[in-house]
Amino acid sequence: MGTLNSALSIIVGSLDADQGAISVTTNNLANANTPGYDRQIVQFSENDPIQEGNLSFGTGVTLEQAQTVRSNVLQIQLNQETQASGQLDSFVSGMSQVETLFNETAGTGLQTPLSAFFSSLQQLSTNPSDSSLRVGVISAAQNLATAFNQSSSALTTQQSDLNQSVEQSVGEVNNFTTQVAQLNNQISGLTESGEDPSALIEQRDVVLQNLSSVIGISIIGGDNNNITVTTGNGSPLVVGNQSFALQTQTNTATGMQDVFSQGQDITSQISAGELGGQIQVRDQQIPSILNQLDTLASSIENSVNTQSQAGYDLNGNPGTNLFTTPPVGVAGAAATMGVAISNPSLVAASSDGTAGSNGNANALAAIANQAIVNGQTPSDYYSGTVFQIGNAVSNATAEQTAAQQVTQQLQNQIGALSGVSLNEEAANLTKFQQAYDASARVVTIISDLTNEAINLGQD
Amino acid sequence: MSTRVDPNLSGELIAGINNNQQDVNVDLQQLSTGKAVNSLGDNPAAAAALVGNDAETAQVDQFQSNISSVQGLLQVGDSTMSSVVNLMTQAISLGVEGSNGTLSASDRQAVASQMTGILQQMVGLANTTYQGNYIFAGTETQTAPFAVDPTAADGVTYNGNTDVNSVQLSTGQTMAINVPGSQLFQNASGDVFGALNQMITALQSDSGFDAANTALENAFNAINAQRVFYGNGGAELDTVTSFLSQEKVELTSQQTNLIGADMGAVASNYSQAEVQQQALLAASGKIIGEATLFDYLPT
Repeated sequence: MGTLNSALSIIVGSLDADQGAISVTTNNLANANTPGYDRQIVQFSENDPIQEGNLSFGTGVTLEQAQTVRSNVLQIQLNQETQASGQLDSFVSGMSQVETLFNETAGTGLQTPLSAFFSSLQQLSTNPSDSSLRVGVISAAQNLATAFNQSSSALTTQQSDLNQSVEQSVGEVNNFTTQVAQLNNQISGLTESGEDPSALIEQRDVVLQNLSSVIGISIIGGDNNNITVTTGNGSPLVVGNQSFALQTQTNTATGMQDVFSQGQDITSQISAGELGGQIQVRDQQIPSILNQLDTLASSIENSVNTQSQAGYDLNGNPGTNLFTTPPVGVAGAAATMGVAISNPSLVAASSDGTAGSNGNANALAAIANQAIVNGQTPSDYYSGTVFQIGNAVSNATAEQTAAQQVTQQLQNQIGALSGVSLNEEAANLTKFQQAYDASARVVTIISDLTNEAINLGQD
Repeated sequence: MSTRVDPNLSGELIAGINNNQQDVNVDLQQLSTGKAVNSLGDNPAAAAALVGNDAETAQVDQFQSNISSVQGLLQVGDSTMSSVVNLMTQAISLGVEGSNGTLSASDRQAVASQMTGILQQMVGLANTTYQGNYIFAGTETQTAPFAVDPTAADGVTYNGNTDVNSVQLSTGQTMAINVPGSQLFQNASGDVFGALNQMITALQSDSGFDAANTALENAFNAINAQRVFYGNGGAELDTVTSFLSQEKVELTSQQTNLIGADMGAVASNYSQAEVQQQALLAASGKIIGEATLFDYLPT
């Protein structure tokens, strides 16, 4: 039978539940701007009724739990998108620096000194014995060599800067994986003892998010809310409460830091995250451009030297090399390119040994339009390099924009699901407050009723 | 229940403002440089084509510079040739005057020494230099090509060679820029020095006038024929110059097509983006400062 006392115990339970709900709401408000925080919603449940004869009496309410509203699917998508963005960001930033070295749209790059060199030979052909025109050829050749030297050295500097970034990124990865392992440990402890680990899971999400931006990862869920984290290609980073640090080791051939996991070189397998972008620019893009510069420099040196030897200098002696001899196998040709002669009379302009002959100057100038570099003219070959650099930047930039939009969209979706809405919390707060007020009011009424019951029969 | 929206708008707002700021920056850059392509990544194909365009432009510039160098040389050659022709005309009339049989021996001697003066002037003209180079020496431009030498058949030795220099005037077009002195002055169809010496000998010996007069005529015709090279050369240069100017115009317009910005369109985009930026900022200010339900709860 429903007694006043049972009504009182229902009310006490209800006051507890409302208080709990107000506390959850307050916590939501407090964390409205906490990164990674997922809002909680209260779950009330009706207590089991008691049966008395034909009558069933409710026994009030219990605050079952404060449920965290989150979507693992969205989190995984966001992680993946963050990896892609990280890779594109570091790729674009690395390539933008390469791009400025060869910005032909602003006249910086190799075409100007290249044209100037061949023009100086043309000019010499108009007066082959003129010493100022001969000096012009030597200084144009020097400018061309210097342009190659500088481009090559700037690329090498960028490469070693990226190498340092790779080391730093590996340090960040290790830092984050250590944190994930620690959080795993705490989370599984709480889960095992039946406590709510959501606050720590959210923290772990934030760390995973940061980790994703540095390296591509896969996450596999396990028991007790534990997770296993591996690199995109499956090398372990975190298993349970243990983290596996990545190591860097100098590659003796390239002088660059290779990334090792458990003694295995995984450098070339890292494709996502900032680390992926850094490695791509460091190990693929820059070496490819350097190789093209070397090929171009070496072809120009060889062709010009061969033609110089076919001619005669101002004194009628057989021509000597205008440029230094490039290294065998082209590597390093751009870095070491130099002019072999300083005496202007040694420029081999003559084709018959007389001082006034310009035949060889013409032949040297004609190299500009000869297919001397892999079947292409120097300018055509160089324009291919320019296209390659521009294309890499342009594609990555387009993908970067798309990735930013997707990330923004995912963040919106996550926010729509898990974000704290001040209006909603205000409404809830009011709702719970009113319920609490009502319950408290019922206590007063029951108290009055009890008094009446006690005083029943007295006049 | 209606769809829940992301309660935190600031992320999206900031992304929107950043994107728009990016547009504004791009427009501003295009307006300030006048170029739609300001980095290789803006348009890789245009940037690559620009390299070819730059190479061609540099060549055309150089061809124009070649032409102005050659022009000077040809002009000196042409004016020297016209002096040579004048001298020859003088020699011919002197020869006619000397050979008409009414002159005294001393008068003939005077004409002979006049003729010797002409020969010396002729050798001087044949040794003309331009910018330190003997222009009638073939490619032996550093040594005087002609020297008086009584042992030589025509009295003058040629120290030059018969090589011809060519200079490139445009893609695929070269032009010879000299005629070897031997071809000009000691041509098989008429040797200038030989004819002058022959007339001097005739005047001194009072014999062989007819042959000497014929020789002078032949030499005159030969040099007149060779002279055409210098006159025609100048005309050819003029033709090529106007062709190159046309090519330069085409290259410049090609360059504008490749990387030039459509200034009108950019200016209008820019003002549009500016308006949008103002609107975004105003909206952001409103949204960020917007009241929530809390503001309406009873206190």
